[in-house]
Amino acid sequence: MNNLGKSFRTIVVGAIAFGATVSNAWAEGSIVSFNGPAGEAYIGKFIKGIKATAELKGFDIKVFENQFNQAEQDQQVQQVLAAGQLPDVFIWWPSDAVAGLGSLRALAKTGVPVLKINQLPNDQDKQYIFGYAGPDDRLRARNAGYMMREAAAAKKAAGGTGFNVLALSYPHSYGGYGLSINAFKEAIAGSDLKIIGDVDEGFGQANGYKGAAKMIAALQGQSIDFVYGMDDAILTGGIKALEEAGMVMGQDVIAVGTVCNGDKQLIEEGKQFGTTLQSPLHEGQLAIKLVEEYLNTGKLANYINFTPNPSVTKETIETTALRGFDGKLYSIEELCSGAW
Amino acid sequence: MSIDSSVENPNLIQRLTRDYSLLVLALVAVFIAVFIIGAATAPNFLTILNIKTILRDAAIVGIMAIGLTFVTLSGNFFLLSMKETAALSIIAFATSMSAGYGFEISFLFTMIIAMIAGAIQGLLIGLGGNPIVVTLGAAGLFFGIGSWWSDNLVVSFRRPHGAEWLGSGSFLGLPNITIAFIIIAVLAEFVLRRTSFGRQVYLVGANRATGRATGHENLPMAIKVCIIASVCSAFVAIAFSAQVSSAHVNYFSSSFGSSGDMTIMVIATVMVGGNSIMGGYGSSLRSSLGAVFISTCDNMMVLHGYNSGPRVLAVGLMIVFSIMVFALVQRGSRSVE
Repeated sequence: MNNLGKSFRTIVVGAIAFGATVSNAWAEGSIVSFNGPAGEAYIGKFIKGIKATAELKGFDIKVFENQFNQAEQDQQVQQVLAAGQLPDVFIWWPSDAVAGLGSLRALAKTGVPVLKINQLPNDQDKQYIFGYAGPDDRLRARNAGYMMREAAAAKKAAGGTGFNVLALSYPHSYGGYGLSINAFKEAIAGSDLKIIGDVDEGFGQANGYKGAAKMIAALQGQSIDFVYGMDDAILTGGIKALEEAGMVMGQDVIAVGTVCNGDKQLIEEGKQFGTTLQSPLHEGQLAIKLVEEYLNTGKLANYINFTPNPSVTKETIETTALRGFDGKLYSIEELCSGAW
Repeated sequence: MSIDSSVENPNLIQRLTRDYSLLVLALVAVFIAVFIIGAATAPNFLTILNIKTILRDAAIVGIMAIGLTFVTLSGNFFLLSMKETAALSIIAFATSMSAGYGFEISFLFTMIIAMIAGAIQGLLIGLGGNPIVVTLGAAGLFFGIGSWWSDNLVVSFRRPHGAEWLGSGSFLGLPNITIAFIIIAVLAEFVLRRTSFGRQVYLVGANRATGRATGHENLPMAIKVCIIASVCSAFVAIAFSAQVSSAHVNYFSSSFGSSGDMTIMVIATVMVGGNSIMGGYGSSLRSSLGAVFISTCDNMMVLHGYNSGPRVLAVGLMIVFSIMVFALVQRGSRSVE
C-alpha cells in the first residue's frame, strides 16, 4: 500500500503543480498532427484534447487520421509535404514507429520540429524529434503489479491460498507488450504471485473474452487466482469469461487492469480490484503544452514527458481527479476512455 | 454375362477416387492427419469446458456467417459491410438501452435499423450495383453514422439491464449465445432446404437467367438476403453489447490479434465451409461447420501455446487450403453434393 499510495500522491501532486504552472500566454503558430482514427475511443479523446487546447492557446491545428495503417499515414505525410505549406510544428503519432521511420525522417528534413506522441522514442527515431509526450507503459504496468501485490498480501494475511496469475496481454508483436509485461513482472517479483498463463488474443473486449475463455480451458487443473489485464478493455472481456466459467470475481479471482478504458462498474462492484488511470485527454493537452513551450523557448525542459498514471481502486474511484495541463480539474469520467 | 458389382455399387474408397482427384484426396488426408494429431496432443482439448468454449467462440462469427451464406448462395457474393452493420447496430442498441428503453424496445429498434441497412444494400445490388462496391460504400456509411452518433465514445448502460440473459446467460450448461447459434443454424438450413424461398435462393444463385425466366428476379432476392445478413449481424451486436453492457463502433474492428478483421473472418468462415463464391452451391450448415472448424483449430493452437501470429497464419492457410480444394473439386465435378 505504501508504494501505491506514494506513487499516487506523487503523481497527483506533480500533475497539479504542473498544471498550475501552465502559462496562459497567447501563442501563435500552426500545428499538423498525424495520428490514428478518431473512431478509436482513446485516440478520439486525444484528438479532442489537442484541438481544444490548441484553440485555447491560439494555435491553428490540422489533424490527419489514419486507420492504424502506416502506408496511409506515409501517404498523408507526402501530401502535406507536397502541398508546400509547412506548419510550425509536427505532432507525430506513428501507426508503426519502425515502419514509419522514413516518413518521420522526411518530416524532420523540412526543418520543422517534430514532437513524438504515445510511443516512446527509440534509438533510430530520437534524432528526428525534439521531445516525447505520452503514457509510460512501464509505470502503469508497475502500478498494476503493485496493486496486485497489495491484494495478494491481503489475501495471504486473511489465510487465503492460491497466487496463480493469468495475463491477458496485448499481441506479443505490439511494442507496448514487452514494456508492460517486464514492468509487471518486476513489480510482482519476490511475492507469492506466479504467472501461469499469458494469452495475446488481441485488443478489445471481444478478444479479451475469447482469450480468457481459451486459457480457462487450457489451464484446467490449475487455479486462476489473479488476472492482469494489459488494459481494461481486454480485462472486461476476460472478467466475463471467468464469470461464465463459474468464478466469483473479487473472491475466487482478483483482477487488476490498466488504462481505464474498460467498465467502471466492475470496479464499483468489486469485480475488478483496480486500474491505473491513463487519460488521452491529458495526452492531447500535454502535447500542445509542449509545443507551446518549444516555440516559446526553443527547447523543452524534459525530453521525455509522461502523462500521470495513478492507481485507482474501489476506495479512490469517486474521489480521484486530476488537474489538466489547461489548468482545469477533471473528474475520472472525463479522463477515462472506456465505459466511465 | 457377368457384371462387376463394384462398378454398380462402388464402395466408399471407389466413390471418393471416382469423384475427386488424387491431389484433393491427398490434401484432405494430410489436413485431417494434422488436425487429429494436433487435437490428440493438445492438453485439455477433449473436455466439456473446452468444447463449450469452442462452440461459444464459434457462435459470434458463425451467426454472422449463416446470414452471409444467404447472400453468397443467391449469387450476390459477399457483404463487405458485416462488421460495420454490427457497429451501427451495437451503437443503436446501447444508445437505446442507456436511454432507459429496456431490452425489448431496444432490440426491436436495433433490428429495424439493421433491416433498413440491409434493404438499402439489397436494393442497390438488385438494381445492378456491384456487390463489392455497394457494400464497401455502405460499410463507410454505417461506420460513419455509428461514429457520429456515439461521438466516438463508449456508450454504456448500467447493470442490471434486463439483457444479461442473452449476453452472459446459459441454459443446461450451454451459453445462450451458443444455443442461439444452434437454433439459427437449424432454422437457416430448414429455410434453405425445405421452403420455396430457400429453393429460390439456390435457383437465382445458380443461374440468374433461368431465375428471371421463371419469374424470380434478383432485385427482391437481393433485398431479402441482405436483410437476413444484416439482421444476423445486428443479433450478434446485441448479444455482445448485452454481455459487456456497453458499445463502441470499434468493438468489431480490432485490427490486431488472432481474430483479425470481423468481416474477413465471416467471409473466411463461409469459404472454409466450402460454399461457392459464385452462388447456387453450398449451405448454411457448411458455414456453421466452418465456424466450428476455425474455432477448433484456433483453440487447439492456443492449447499448444501458440501466440497470435501463428494463429492468424493458420486461419489464412485454412482459407487458401479450402479455396484450393474446392476449386479442384468444382473443376472435377459440380454434382458431388
